[in-house]
Amino acid sequence: MKRWRRLAALSLASVVLVACSGQRPVAVSEKSSDPTTPVVGGKLVYGLSADAAGFNPVTDQFAAQSYSMATTIIEPLVSVDVNGDWKPYLAESLTPNKKSDEWTITVRSGISFSDGTPLTGEVVKANLEAQKASPLNNAVLAPVSSFELVDPKTVKVKLKQPWVAFPYYLAAQIGMIVPPSSLKDPRGASQKPVGTGPFTFQEYVPDSRFVVAKNANYWRKGLPYLTQIEFRILPDSQTRAQTLEAGQLDAMGTSRDEDITKFGALKDAFTVQRSQGMAVAEYMFMLNTAVKPFDDIRVRRALAHAMDRKAVISTLRGGLTKEADGPWSKDSKWYAEGGGYPEYDLAKATALVKEVEAEKGPIKFEIISTPDPNTMQGIELAQDMWRKAGIEVTIKQADQADLINRAVTGNFAATVWTQFSSPDPDGEYIWMHKGYAGPVGSIALNFTRLKDDKLSQAFDVGRTSPDEATRKQAYATVQQRLRELVPYVFVDHLDTGAVIAKTTVHGIGEHVLPDGEKGLPMTGSPIPYHPFSGVWITQQ
Amino acid sequence: MILLHRLVRLLVVLLVVTFLSYALLGLLPGDPTTQILGLSATEEARAQLRQELGLDQPLLVRYADWLGGLVTGDFGTSYINQVPVAQELAERLPVTLELLVAAQIVALGLAVPVGVAAARRAGGTLDQVLTAMSFALLSTPVFVLGVLLILVFAVTWQVLPATGWTPISVDLGWNITSVLLPAITLGAGQLAVYARLLRTDLIATLQEDYITLARARGLSPRRILWRHALRPSTISLITAVGLNLGALIGGTVIIETLFGLPGIGRLIVDSIFSRDYLTVQGGVVLISVGYVLVNFVVDLVYAAVDPRIRHA
Repeated sequence: MKRWRRLAALSLASVVLVACSGQRPVAVSEKSSDPTTPVVGGKLVYGLSADAAGFNPVTDQFAAQSYSMATTIIEPLVSVDVNGDWKPYLAESLTPNKKSDEWTITVRSGISFSDGTPLTGEVVKANLEAQKASPLNNAVLAPVSSFELVDPKTVKVKLKQPWVAFPYYLAAQIGMIVPPSSLKDPRGASQKPVGTGPFTFQEYVPDSRFVVAKNANYWRKGLPYLTQIEFRILPDSQTRAQTLEAGQLDAMGTSRDEDITKFGALKDAFTVQRSQGMAVAEYMFMLNTAVKPFDDIRVRRALAHAMDRKAVISTLRGGLTKEADGPWSKDSKWYAEGGGYPEYDLAKATALVKEVEAEKGPIKFEIISTPDPNTMQGIELAQDMWRKAGIEVTIKQADQADLINRAVTGNFAATVWTQFSSPDPDGEYIWMHKGYAGPVGSIALNFTRLKDDKLSQAFDVGRTSPDEATRKQAYATVQQRLRELVPYVFVDHLDTGAVIAKTTVHGIGEHVLPDGEKGLPMTGSPIPYHPFSGVWITQQ
Repeated sequence: MILLHRLVRLLVVLLVVTFLSYALLGLLPGDPTTQILGLSATEEARAQLRQELGLDQPLLVRYADWLGGLVTGDFGTSYINQVPVAQELAERLPVTLELLVAAQIVALGLAVPVGVAAARRAGGTLDQVLTAMSFALLSTPVFVLGVLLILVFAVTWQVLPATGWTPISVDLGWNITSVLLPAITLGAGQLAVYARLLRTDLIATLQEDYITLARARGLSPRRILWRHALRPSTISLITAVGLNLGALIGGTVIIETLFGLPGIGRLIVDSIFSRDYLTVQGGVVLISVGYVLVNFVVDLVYAAVDPRIRHA
């Protein structure tokens, strides 16, 4: 009996020891003596914070993590370069007519999908038509009147109005091209994506992992370097960081300032790439200007005057971010001074509150927040600052779906919000233009319900004028009006979105576009994404 | 007869639980259209999608439709990813089941020797140390314990994976390593409860007359403890194992998120947030059936452990 017990114990111990013995075997890359010369081969294990809601760009809403995974397989017609300008990707060229109300897209030759179907003008037209018909994008593509096939390589996009920033929209989900088989079987394409990209689909286990393998017939010769990428879905930011530390991830996305500080200090072992420029979203408090008390501009300005942005940054972000006074950061070419954003001044805030109270009585409002601790911390900090100015704020918790629903229907007074990471200012058109502001209770994309003629005209000029100086002037007006009217109490530019990688991982944020220009290192919010075709790894 | 009685009870439980969850989900503000279509969809697009999904129908009609489908084995299709709910549940169930079983093995496997050791010399140093450790485990939140275990076993010693999941079908060894830390984390709280219960019952049993008689007959303390006292002392423990299933399923939500496991708990929570009603309902049915079945098995085990129940 004792012998059996010993044998059983030994067997159990052996199973556990064998199972615990060292790292999981993975494909290894060649050794490189030169740290700047890419080596071919190897598997990259990459940690993401959330799963995608599907990989079909026509039917599934893409978040940043969706782009991380899907763009390894499906490529867009257009990309954005390091200067923030759009550049052709699957397209060879995009040419506007004189008025920019017609765009001619010519497709590159010699590109095929991984299922062997050639990329043609007809395929591009079918994709764009599917996008226009999709309820996901028909509001964004409302200015498009038709798509016409000019010749086997060329598609003409006819618009109802001039639209100079149209190509930027083709750099995202709308411009990602799938083969006809995916258009015919949208459910299949949602789970098993097919495209022209550097990798092909290998395995997808929802909420666990998404695995892609090198596309041996990729049209960009010499790319990609990696043999395989495994994206691991690890929603808990603490354990995701621990998994990287334990060596079981090669890289991960994060938006936590403590990760940036901690891994940033370990320069020999890790690199930290942070998002910057237009790709950075803004953290703010969004106010509904159609309801009390925010239909009074003095109350909105009082809130901004009472907001100590420096205190928020030092308390919540470890001092890593910069104060925001508008939707675009100072390192963007679109940033412009002017308008006089209400600086932190408690005396001014209190004076405005007293002035309003003398006319209308005490100022009270409810602010909505998701229940997660980080968001709540920010709200409570703001609540305390506003209370000091004499404004009574109650916090109501709502889950993400409820919060968004309230924002869309205008059923809120104030809420915490993060937005504005489009590569071109025109990307914010539908969120701020008066044409998208509806009465409370109806669905409207201009959530603040601010109907300002000057701001809307400036957005129209920015959309229709091909002259960059004119556009810059127009968007300067947008920023000026936002600072004057304060539909948003801006706090900071959330550039804590970062990708942290082992030093053995190279090429993150250093990709080159097909025509040789340097690509935009990273984009997306709150955790940025980047292409993987130029990423390579060396053995430690 | 008992089986029929149980089956009727199961059906009643299912009807009540699924209707309540359907009604509660219906009370939640918002619907899946925002999740599916995103922020920039128009009102017309949302209304059309609501109609396609049948969300424009009254709650009772929707529930009756869903129930009708369930009778024929159709759990419906997820609103969000258009995958059949039965398929989603079937893919996730093995992960959660393995985690639950492993956590119970960890908890029971350690609770029995710990409870026996503590009861053997009640009030002694070992009992006091084990009692203190039990209270420490009970008062440690699972997410703190999980992070600590990862820090020690994955980051510092690097002997176990910090996160991730390998199915048994892919690699048994890696499957065991991927379930070890989550199972210990989930089972730790239960271990403390089970050990305390067993200790208390065992101390009471050891005061019984038949134990005194056994001692008088000269049986060894070890034989008395393991052969004569342990079995009758496990009734409360067995009850707790059955009842704790609910708590364990609740715990899997945190564990699965913490360790990145693709289980049922995470699926249900994600589905609640995205208002994927049919997936939540499928999960509720599965958990209800599981709960009733486990407690049925617990009743059978009672009879096996205590002949008085069998003959009653």
